[in-house]
Amino acid sequence: MSTTSTTSGPAGKGSPLRKDGSLRKDGPVRKDRGGLARLGPLPWIGPAVLLIALVVLWPVYEMVRTSFLRISSSGFVRGSAGFDKYKQLFAEPSLPSVVLSTVVWTVVVVGATMLVSLALAQLFNQRFPGRRLTRWALIAPWAASVVMTAIGFKWMLNQTAGVLNTLMTDLGLIDSPRDWLGDPATAWPWMMFVAVFVSLPFTTYTLLAGLQTVPGEVYEAARVDGAGPWQTYFRITLPLLRPAFLVGVVINLINVFNSFPIIWSMTHGGPDSDTATTTVFMYQLKNSDIGESAAMSVVNFALVVVMVVVFLKASRWNQEEN
Amino acid sequence: MNKRSLAAVSACALGALALTACGSGGGSTASADKDVTLKLVAADYGDKASNSSASYWKDVADRFTAANPKIKVDVQVINWNDIDSQVKTMIQSGNVPDVLQTGGYADKVADNLLYRADEVLSEPTRTNLIDSFAKAGEVDGKPYGIPFVASARAFFYNKALFAQAGITEAPKSWDDVKAAAEKIKAAVPGVTPYALPLGSEEAQGESLIWELGNAGGLTDPKGAYTLNSQANIDAFTWLKTNLVAPGLTYANPATTDRKTAFADFAAGKAAMLNGHPSLIQMSKDGKVDYGVAPIPGKAGALKSTLGVADWMMAFKGPGHKEQVRAFLDFAYAKENTLKFDELYNLMPVTEDTLKDMTGSGKHPDLEPFFALLPNAAFYPLGDTAWDAVSAEIKKSGGTAVNDPAKVLGELQKKAEAAVSDK
Repeated sequence: MSTTSTTSGPAGKGSPLRKDGSLRKDGPVRKDRGGLARLGPLPWIGPAVLLIALVVLWPVYEMVRTSFLRISSSGFVRGSAGFDKYKQLFAEPSLPSVVLSTVVWTVVVVGATMLVSLALAQLFNQRFPGRRLTRWALIAPWAASVVMTAIGFKWMLNQTAGVLNTLMTDLGLIDSPRDWLGDPATAWPWMMFVAVFVSLPFTTYTLLAGLQTVPGEVYEAARVDGAGPWQTYFRITLPLLRPAFLVGVVINLINVFNSFPIIWSMTHGGPDSDTATTTVFMYQLKNSDIGESAAMSVVNFALVVVMVVVFLKASRWNQEEN
Repeated sequence: MNKRSLAAVSACALGALALTACGSGGGSTASADKDVTLKLVAADYGDKASNSSASYWKDVADRFTAANPKIKVDVQVINWNDIDSQVKTMIQSGNVPDVLQTGGYADKVADNLLYRADEVLSEPTRTNLIDSFAKAGEVDGKPYGIPFVASARAFFYNKALFAQAGITEAPKSWDDVKAAAEKIKAAVPGVTPYALPLGSEEAQGESLIWELGNAGGLTDPKGAYTLNSQANIDAFTWLKTNLVAPGLTYANPATTDRKTAFADFAAGKAAMLNGHPSLIQMSKDGKVDYGVAPIPGKAGALKSTLGVADWMMAFKGPGHKEQVRAFLDFAYAKENTLKFDELYNLMPVTEDTLKDMTGSGKHPDLEPFFALLPNAAFYPLGDTAWDAVSAEIKKSGGTAVNDPAKVLGELQKKAEAAVSDK
């Protein structure tokens, strides 16, 4: 896949295609078709539309509808709640700290993932003996279920029997085994570590794919012009890596923001909601009030959409094409 | 046109599918002759795969179906951490079980989801229930919750660790607990002197025990919530300054579950805790030489203790009243309840089983608990807001050891909101 084809998918459709003479011919032909004939493509796109309606639009509708319902603690629907559930949600004493944690969590995890992945991708792009094997090995955290990885780390961090605790004590890093996940101050860094760990493979492979599309001639030209390694990296590699980098950031933003299994398996968001992101907080609210929990989901949904749109705007996603 | 009618046909077909799907769940009230499958959802009392409640219920269901070939029982056993939320999902999606065995019943009464106990129990089975428990199953004077098993808390201590630390008798007051914990910490490092599990698994239990120790509690005599009473705040303040801060218990009680505390005690890694009878077998398996004593209070050993009952209830939704009655009468027969109680060292809630267990002399371990049961204090089980309040305490109650007044104050606010919402 070439660099241009990756980006022209979501971004470039508009202008270049319309400028294309051969496609313009389509215009008059379409005019001749009337009524039923227009439904021609339906059998082809129908299944996809139906699938989207069923697994995306309908759940979104149900989520929004639930957020306006009064549902008893036993789960029984008692009628409409108006905006009460939203008011109740915004009055939750733990909400501000949860939102702040979510922002920190997302920024730190995505940032660290991108940085480490850039380095890893660079490494795996070099020729060295055993490269194929190490590339395979990198897939492991990705191939393993996230819940499994998180529970694995939870056990390794266990205070009485955890192997990481034993190791750190033996190495003299800590005096005695500690309850890492019980205290938010230490639980957050560990969970962020696990989140970065499971995000690395996908991001590294995305960047690696991007690196492989950079033509060798460009580097050659740079060398001829006398650019040093850092200059080459910042002036040539990074700019040409931009499309792959953006794909990595956007997908990681969504994934990490919505990340539920890691936090839920490791701390359940506790104590109270001190290690919860908004997604985990939504799940915690489910225990006391499903309507309020749905309201949190709606807010979450809006946040993700806004975040991605803002990011794409800020990074001028389709600048390359114009 | 063709396409549109095709769409209409397929929509109808889908609708019809959905309707029949609903129908199979709800419509079979008809005759008792028809084959019926009852859905039983129950909590798992086992602590490992080998003693899971699933095998107990499968056995009961098989024997019941052998005796009543027209009624099959579909058993689903769910662990304690998940059962509340899963049951909620079932109710919300209209997919309720016929029979549910879990920790609370009253919130389901508020929405008129349950049969009354006298509708689904025959007269002999109903009179066989121990009075105090049958009473605890009433909401506004009408019986809804059917007690299933009971349990009481007592103070457990590890005799070997006590001897190592030179302590000769079980602590009676909070100060004794603290003194013992200090000696143990000094003499046997690496052991948790007092295991304080205030994690989400059962924060409401452990916290109520300490509140009772200071003459506090969850409600006033009229039944209004008093979660942030001065006595309760003082109890948590004592815990904070005397056990948590000096490191005489877990570093983070608010994230430590009861399961962990019990496992630690059974492994000889915790010296003292408030336990219930299931800890007896665990301690024996772990070869821990344990002692049982009344729960220490602030001024001296408590006369009362926390009594816990778990409940059986029958949902109206599927409409299998007759079949449910047949099943419950079978499940409450002495041979079944006795087997369950003995399997998990739980207290019986039926007269015949209690008589058998106290009279047979087979249960000397349980005798301290039988003695405590008449004075047990219960959660406000008949309050239809209790389940919501309990869920809030489970979530954030444990953090009261960090900031007692603030956390209990917020809980009280939530409890009042839950009461006004019921």
